Amino acid sequence: MQRTRSYSFLITLAITIYAAYSFVPPPTASYTTLNVVGYKGIYNSAWVGHVSAMMTTIMLSLYGFFLINGGIKKDVDTGIGQIIATTPITNFGYLLSKFLSNFFVLLTISALTFLISIVMFFVRTSGSPFIIGDFILPFVFFAIPALFTVSALAIVAEVFLGRKLILQYIIFFFLFGALMANVVGHKSSTVNTFIDTFGVNTMTNSVKDKVNTQYHEHIDAVNLGFTFSKKHRFKTFEWDGISWTGVFIASRLMWICIAFGLVYFSSFSFHRFDFKQASGKKKKAMAPANISHTNGTFAAGINVSLLPPVVTDYSIFPFVKTELLLLIRKGPKWFWLVNGGLWISMIFVKLDIAYAYLLPILLFLQVTRWSELATKEVTNRLHYFTWSSFKPLQRMLPSQLLAAFIMAVALALPVILRSAIAGNVYSVVNIINGAAFVVLLSASLGIVSGGKKLFEILFFFITYLITQKMPLTDYLGALPHDSPIGFISVILMLNVLLAMVSFSVRSWQVRHL
Amino acid sequence: MALEIKKLTKQYNKHKTGLSNYSITIDRGILGLLGPNGAGKSTLMKIIATISKPTTGTLFLDGEDIVKNPDNIRKILGYLPQDFGVYPNLNAYEFLEYIAALKGVGGADLRKRIEMLLDGVNLTADAKRPIGTYSGGMKQRIGIAQALLNDPKVLIFDEPTVGLDPEERVRFRQLISELANDCIIILSSHIVSDIEAIADEVAIMQNGTLLEKGTQPDIVKLVEGKVFETVLDSQQLNDLKARHLVIDTSRQKDQTRARYITRGHQPEVGSVAVNATLEDAYLFLTHTKA
Repeated sequence: MQRTRSYSFLITLAITIYAAYSFVPPPTASYTTLNVVGYKGIYNSAWVGHVSAMMTTIMLSLYGFFLINGGIKKDVDTGIGQIIATTPITNFGYLLSKFLSNFFVLLTISALTFLISIVMFFVRTSGSPFIIGDFILPFVFFAIPALFTVSALAIVAEVFLGRKLILQYIIFFFLFGALMANVVGHKSSTVNTFIDTFGVNTMTNSVKDKVNTQYHEHIDAVNLGFTFSKKHRFKTFEWDGISWTGVFIASRLMWICIAFGLVYFSSFSFHRFDFKQASGKKKKAMAPANISHTNGTFAAGINVSLLPPVVTDYSIFPFVKTELLLLIRKGPKWFWLVNGGLWISMIFVKLDIAYAYLLPILLFLQVTRWSELATKEVTNRLHYFTWSSFKPLQRMLPSQLLAAFIMAVALALPVILRSAIAGNVYSVVNIINGAAFVVLLSASLGIVSGGKKLFEILFFFITYLITQKMPLTDYLGALPHDSPIGFISVILMLNVLLAMVSFSVRSWQVRHL
Repeated sequence: MALEIKKLTKQYNKHKTGLSNYSITIDRGILGLLGPNGAGKSTLMKIIATISKPTTGTLFLDGEDIVKNPDNIRKILGYLPQDFGVYPNLNAYEFLEYIAALKGVGGADLRKRIEMLLDGVNLTADAKRPIGTYSGGMKQRIGIAQALLNDPKVLIFDEPTVGLDPEERVRFRQLISELANDCIIILSSHIVSDIEAIADEVAIMQNGTLLEKGTQPDIVKLVEGKVFETVLDSQQLNDLKARHLVIDTSRQKDQTRARYITRGHQPEVGSVAVNATLEDAYLFLTHTKA
């Protein structure tokens, strides 16, 4: 209940509803969600049910990790963990409850897409018989095992990586990519069925076999995901769904068992909210915080009349300086080595690689810096000071945005300079526009949702899709677009809209604490 | 300098009212706010601090409308909320520089001002450590220091002595007393002795309304001659509670010493009249006017 009573969850639900609607595009749409090159399945019960279930599985596995991550951290931060630690609940019992809680949050979203997929069947098809099993079985055998797996991975990440949030995200990013790369395009075999976490291979092979059989082709590639194509002419085929073999069902049960197993073995390493014991590290011997070797804790007291006179200065630059300092200090210091490494790489690798891959990844690696941009004063309970300050809307928020923008542009500098030297003005403008987009997106989503999760989920999603060359999410303009000016205008308009949302909602907040 | 509050109401929703038709004039000096949890003290303070807008009512500082033009008071405001946080990665200097920027305080002497404030709250030795490592009392002292950064003329302290040890509380009271000559200071606390020690006037609140406001002698007069102490056993204590307002009890071997206020009844036989205190008056007002 606690997880679902948040704006982040509600907004994620809203986005999922839209995404589920888009899983079954109209016949004239410029994109498909599953196609074999030049061929498209007829919208029957099996097609709509299976495609919706598979898309739900993959998307929810991808962003679901970010949505559910942090359940244990919440108990740490709120202090409830210390109370839990004193109860008879075992480590496994606690982690199991968190695991199941993760699962049920994702299941709630999955249930919604299930319902929408049925609605979309009736919207997109006419006359095709509705077979409920074509909807239920794919959700049961694709989505549920995957959701168990992702729920378990979130637990494992929190137990072993604790507060190293960015590390959790990076590892999951690559793990997800590896899981997807491992199975897409592989031939059908018992082994591949078992190592296929999401069941993708089984489904794509079935579709491929159908096309090859019906049209005597030798196609071995299936596009799963949002594939944009100007080509509107596809040959169609009727697909009746996959056969739910014993091997396949056993493979799904295996993944569910693996999920439970991961949780069980994590319980041996769980800190049970005793961090000193769990870290096993010797901490530097620090003087206890409240020992001061002076008499009296106020010492001589404050003689206000002796204080230097106050000089007013309403410029925002001291803010910008502190905000930059906060951004830089967010996260572990060693991470700047990673940032530095990527930054330097962008100078030497081919420009298109730096632009299309390294830059989005480098910006994504700062996700935990951006995500708290406009929410940290509330998270850290400083909003009493900030919102009662002089003109908070005209000074604080612009400072936060400016500091983050400076950092984003600084991180993108190698690509900006190389593009400028190459005479590519559009790229320079796109990158600067894109940097502003990231900053404004984080601020607006943070202000509206009151938290950082929504931005983290969305930004991960955007970055992942950029690496898959999805033009819709190409906020930096690295991919070719029909109209460069048009693209710049779209991002610019988005930026203006995000800025308006940020300022108007924040304007209300500062007077309604 | 005076803060005039007229018919202030804060309605959160159909079922929850923070303040109800609240009117008060606050002059230079220290006003102590007393009231049980949910009385509306923090709501009132947040409205004066301009981080909450009243539903209806007006708030004027020397004739200027604070609700419509909050920036006028913000320039001269020092606010220490009940439950505030810090940026854990900043040290004390950096944090106070940030707050100074928030308050529009700058100039070449800012650093010196910060150093003197840190010295005054005895945090110089720890000033270069991240504030996230500070104890609760140290954070509270940083909070006090930040409230004084801009030489405020209106100071609002919401439960300021939480986390301070007894010596720190005494020091804090001394500091506030020194400031009172030139400022409007509004101080809320559950620790009646804090208010008793320094407040020029006391306002007692309950359920979003003002029960009583006046100097301490005026408030205490309301219960003068009504406060008694007696020693009795536990059975008699229950009877006492039924007839009078029992304020305090303490065990003495197998008997109980009880302090009570008469409510229309005669005092118990064997009771001794005692001097009334502010706490007596506060409890009397909140129990009889509830």
